[in-house]
Amino acid sequence: MDCVICRCEEVLLSDIVRAIEDGYTSHREIKLKTRAGMGICQGRTCRLLLDQVIASVSQGPVPKTIGIAPNVPIRPIMLGDLAKGGGKAK
Amino acid sequence: MSMYMKAGIRMTSAEIVVIGAGVIGTSIAFRLAESGRQVMMIDRNGIGAATSSACDKAIFLQSKRPGLHMDLARESRNMYNTLEEELGQSVEFKGAGGTVAIHTEQQMLFMKKFVHDQTQAGINVSLLNQKEAKEQQPILADDIIGASYSPDDAEVNPLKLSQGFATAAKRLGVEIMTHTEAIGIEKSNGKVTGVKTSKGVISTETVINACGPFASSIARFSGVPMNIKPRRGVILISEKVDPIVNGSLLDAQYIAAKHLSGQQPEYGIGLSLGQTDSGNLLIGGSREFVGFNKHVHSDVLHAIAYHACKVVPALTNIRIIRSMVGFRPFTGDGLPIIDRSEQLRGYILAAGHEGDGIALSPITGCLVRDLLNGGGPTSRFLPHLTSDRFKEKTLL
Repeated sequence: MDCVICRCEEVLLSDIVRAIEDGYTSHREIKLKTRAGMGICQGRTCRLLLDQVIASVSQGPVPKTIGIAPNVPIRPIMLGDLAKGGGKAK
Repeated sequence: MSMYMKAGIRMTSAEIVVIGAGVIGTSIAFRLAESGRQVMMIDRNGIGAATSSACDKAIFLQSKRPGLHMDLARESRNMYNTLEEELGQSVEFKGAGGTVAIHTEQQMLFMKKFVHDQTQAGINVSLLNQKEAKEQQPILADDIIGASYSPDDAEVNPLKLSQGFATAAKRLGVEIMTHTEAIGIEKSNGKVTGVKTSKGVISTETVINACGPFASSIARFSGVPMNIKPRRGVILISEKVDPIVNGSLLDAQYIAAKHLSGQQPEYGIGLSLGQTDSGNLLIGGSREFVGFNKHVHSDVLHAIAYHACKVVPALTNIRIIRSMVGFRPFTGDGLPIIDRSEQLRGYILAAGHEGDGIALSPITGCLVRDLLNGGGPTSRFLPHLTSDRFKEKTLL
């Protein structure tokens, strides 16, 4: 039975499994290949699920390379609001 | 060798080892396999997992300097016309044109000359007045004074580009080893004999350093010094919105930051704007020399946002959901190094494309193929891409 792993980008379990079988084995590779974790929550929701899928398909530990590290801004922010900060560069 | 045996690691061999699986390494691996070579490609992370996935998506011709830079970009751009067919998959290539917005009289003076030189060089680019510019790119601010436009500028999805090259290369027999880091180069009598990796030794007589901004660390193993510096670029990514950008958009400040020395805007800020098929906007960007520091001060983000809102006020109420930090391989003259080493036979450098890696990805595979074959359709460029062109500068 298929199910949604990444809700932001609507990526299915079967998409993730296919990517791992194609050799995209780390968080970051799976993100670049399937868009899982690329959306608005930056992987906060699907990250643990992804860990489990990776470990279960590859029958090994999760590769210890770059994972999905949430990036700035940590919450969505209007570009106009982001433009208001700082001051040095204006 | 025993330390690798101890880790339970196999020994293997290849005719050619490509180090780095970004848009450059994958293109090289594909073209070499296509010409009948037996190739192994290794990457310490994954396919296109570093610089090639932290960049914008534009294939700009009109931003290049007339001359060699332009000729290379044009030839590479033309290769894109048939690339999807060759790879057997979509890389979301679109020849949707490109616009450069002009907002000050000073920029207009610079761009008039730039466009004139490009027209002389045979590039299809024209200067638009304010009304025409707004027709071409309705989202531009009302106070812009004009723009330049080229229908030959194009765009591509950089993630699909390296994945597409890698998949096609694999189909042609290239063995791809990800999560495999090069940790040394084995040599004997001035010749390459192998590549030491985190997973064992690969015997080979030819190694290609396609590590972009990280090329220096491989060069260190080879004993052949070189000068490629990381130049950091930051890009903001928006939520998905309906299509609002026609093709790719830059502003003249970006062109000036790229080509004029001396009067760099703070953080090297200039607008680059593109929209992916999924609807996300890529809003750039900055150009800074800060080593490999991935920690971006908030002032840089503010400055990118401030500048983007000024050129395209329609972006003001769009939400930014994340950002990308990439390191561009800077050589100093805007051109890559595609060259054999004189000191170490079998060691080849193919890096240093700075911000043009996406534009120059297709031709780089052909350049390296022609370098190894000792001739071919692109070999006329090779004498201009040697590493010794920097010799005098290095001595200074």
